[in-house]
Amino acid sequence: MEEVKNKLKEFFMSDLGVDGSVLNFDTALFGDEIGLDSVDSLEIISFVDDTFGVSMTGVDKENFQSIDTIAAFIEKNKA
Amino acid sequence: MTPNDCRCVVTGLGVICAVGNNVEETWKNALNSVSGIHKTTSLDTKDCYADLAAEVNCDTLDDIDSPNEKDRASKLCIKAAKEALQDANLGNFNDDQRVSVIIGSCVGGVLSIEEYYQHGKNPSEIAKMPIAAIASQVAETCGAGGIVTNVGNACAAGTISIAIACDLIRAGKADVVIAGGADSFASVPYSGFLSLHALDENGCSPFNRCSGITLGEGAGIVIVESYEHAQKRGAKQYCEVLGAGVTSDAHHITAPREDGLCLTEAMNRAVKNSGIKKSDIGYLNAHGTGTGKNDNAEINAFNNFFAAENPTLSVSSTKVMTGHCLGAAGAIEAVFSIKALTTNTVLPTLGYSAEQSAALKEKVGDMDYVQNAPKSKELNCVMSNNVAFGGTNASIVFSKQPGDVQSQVAKSKKIVVTGIGIVSPVGNSKEAYLEAVKNGAKPESASIHSAVTNDDYKELGIKMAFYRKLDNLGQLQTVSGVRALKDANFTVTEDNANDIGIIVGTSEGGLGSTYDFEELIAEAGNAGGSAFKFPHTVYNAAGGYLSICSGIKGYGVTITTGPVSGLDSIGYSMNVIHDGQEQAMMATGTDENIPVITELAQKLNVAADSVVEPYAGSNGFVVGDGSVSIIMETEDYAKARGAKVYCEILGYGNGRKNVKFGTVEGSGEALDNAINAALKDAGVSAAEIDAVCGFANGQKVVDDIEKAAYARVFGDKLASMPLFQVKEHVGEGRAASATLAAAQAALMLDGEMASENAYFVSADGSVSKKTADASSFKKILVTAFSAGGSYSAVVLGK
Repeated sequence: MEEVKNKLKEFFMSDLGVDGSVLNFDTALFGDEIGLDSVDSLEIISFVDDTFGVSMTGVDKENFQSIDTIAAFIEKNKA
Repeated sequence: MTPNDCRCVVTGLGVICAVGNNVEETWKNALNSVSGIHKTTSLDTKDCYADLAAEVNCDTLDDIDSPNEKDRASKLCIKAAKEALQDANLGNFNDDQRVSVIIGSCVGGVLSIEEYYQHGKNPSEIAKMPIAAIASQVAETCGAGGIVTNVGNACAAGTISIAIACDLIRAGKADVVIAGGADSFASVPYSGFLSLHALDENGCSPFNRCSGITLGEGAGIVIVESYEHAQKRGAKQYCEVLGAGVTSDAHHITAPREDGLCLTEAMNRAVKNSGIKKSDIGYLNAHGTGTGKNDNAEINAFNNFFAAENPTLSVSSTKVMTGHCLGAAGAIEAVFSIKALTTNTVLPTLGYSAEQSAALKEKVGDMDYVQNAPKSKELNCVMSNNVAFGGTNASIVFSKQPGDVQSQVAKSKKIVVTGIGIVSPVGNSKEAYLEAVKNGAKPESASIHSAVTNDDYKELGIKMAFYRKLDNLGQLQTVSGVRALKDANFTVTEDNANDIGIIVGTSEGGLGSTYDFEELIAEAGNAGGSAFKFPHTVYNAAGGYLSICSGIKGYGVTITTGPVSGLDSIGYSMNVIHDGQEQAMMATGTDENIPVITELAQKLNVAADSVVEPYAGSNGFVVGDGSVSIIMETEDYAKARGAKVYCEILGYGNGRKNVKFGTVEGSGEALDNAINAALKDAGVSAAEIDAVCGFANGQKVVDDIEKAAYARVFGDKLASMPLFQVKEHVGEGRAASATLAAAQAALMLDGEMASENAYFVSADGSVSKKTADASSFKKILVTAFSAGGSYSAVVLGK
């Protein structure tokens, strides 16, 4: 689980330009500080599919709230 | 009524798109409701959820001079331009300064970027890559010797080109303008729109299913001519071009505002500038891409703007026929709009069932969204709209009557410089640049670049949630722009957001990001594009980000002609202010030096091996970059808000002598023309000029042109004329250096830069250096150049 979270954090920093120093596993991704939007969610879906083989297309918004919730979704749905 | 000297008429049309290779064929197919959308035959669609496109099928594109030196976008454009010129009964202009070329494009020479990357990095592809090649090569083909530029505002570029054409004619800068747009279908935009899930797998269905776009390709050209010039030569006149409106959403880099507020303002400006009533417009050719976000925003805007005064306006999108041709869209749709007007025929949006028609009626009420088949309707005025990534909105009106166009209404107003923002390899503020000049800073290597960091954003109060989205070019642009606003003490509020606009000048714009995107999809395939990175490929992304970040909602245009664009942004901004469009403008020049840019310069053998100074007689220059922004406004507006004034902008001029794009040799006399035109515009003689901020970069062929022109313009006076060269500190930063030269002139006139190293050219052409005191300068000339033979000059005064 930690490994998944770290991979996600690395992705947010390298591909979506997020400052790692303010990004914790429970930080709200779509809140004011990080400010992800719909374009970023397309990138998250694509990354999660490519890296973990888990599809998040059409999944409820609440699963995208933080690194914690995305990692939990991945754990639950891994083949 | 519009006075005759302000009237602009259309005298020629040319088009190439998926439904026809000329106007006659295209119009015939449009009347027969033919769609050009098919399965793509040119791109790899493996693992891609959508595989439709509207491709051009033409086997005569190579029937031009040196086809190997031109990208498909240029070839499409030249084909349409030749048709339009023939239609207008115009031939070769022999470098006539009164003939201009303004071409819009979104992805420009992207196929040449693909070819370069995938097939051995052949240097012969490089000059075909930038958007700037298109207008330059059209000008070369027909010998247009006036202002030659490209508009880089993505999907609104074609419309804006025609608007600028009229602005130039009304400002007395041109008699004939070849205006339009061109783009080709290619992997980068295909993969990019796939990554955004913005393609409709079943083909676009505007205002109907609204589940995405279908890409097309092509070019459209409209010959815009001054009425008096057309009358004099007895030219056929299709119609008048009345007013236009260009605004910025200040909202999101790809998505339009849901309420269509700034699109409404663009239409409002177009109607107002035309001097007509809303009810005069009989047909509106909508942007109508087929995405839910675009179509709903447009429906909202049309309902809000027209419902009360023009409730039965006819509306359609012609993109089911042509696909979305990006930078060519506005130009092709202008041709459709003009044909519609002159034949009293409204074209339909294709593909509606009876049920779908009923569903649309629920949303739009009595408004007449014409569907499936063309409709006869007596038309007096038509409007064509386009919107673009970066939040650009553009609207233009074509008419059978001259309307009551207001232009140059503020011509008598003095324009002053009130703010400067500098990002360069020597630091990210005006103060850092002044310090570098004081210390005589030189480049540390032959390839240098600016470095924006989190600290800059923190200092400027820009949130991480915003700046994390920016590419390098956007970072340079937003920091210099916000610094210029702060320097001018200009706070953008809801009340003044429409009073100020932005013109970004750039040489390569999003070329570096486009190359990065190509690199990505060459490995990952077209299904592996990045929705995060794709928006950066459009040249106006940097200006769009600045608009979002600053809240500026007025005029917003990105021009790209090479380095000269950084001075043209000032000249065109003067025009916008003199036209009464805005009270204030931010004129900027921005170019980046990421590794691929240096690689391309090295491949072209124009990058120096080691640090060279201006007039070093080298084969190459130091590759630099940066972003410089200048706030300019009417003196009244500046006074009213108590702004500090650096100097006055007195005049602006252009010159061009056509040489092959990518070269400058043999074009030097056009610099004389640019300088003389600027002096004339400023009402100043050459004898009154105290100093020059020039463009020498160390490359002999460029520097020799500069020296020779100054010798012709200034004669004996040249030996004692101090020449200042910003590139000795920051390298060749293309458009950024051109604007920096103007900024430096302003800093000298204002006294902030007390002295600087100056070059003096003696009668035998030798160059000496000594420090010159700037305190006595009253008028400074600023110059810039571009490959292809375009030059600009600006005169600043105390």
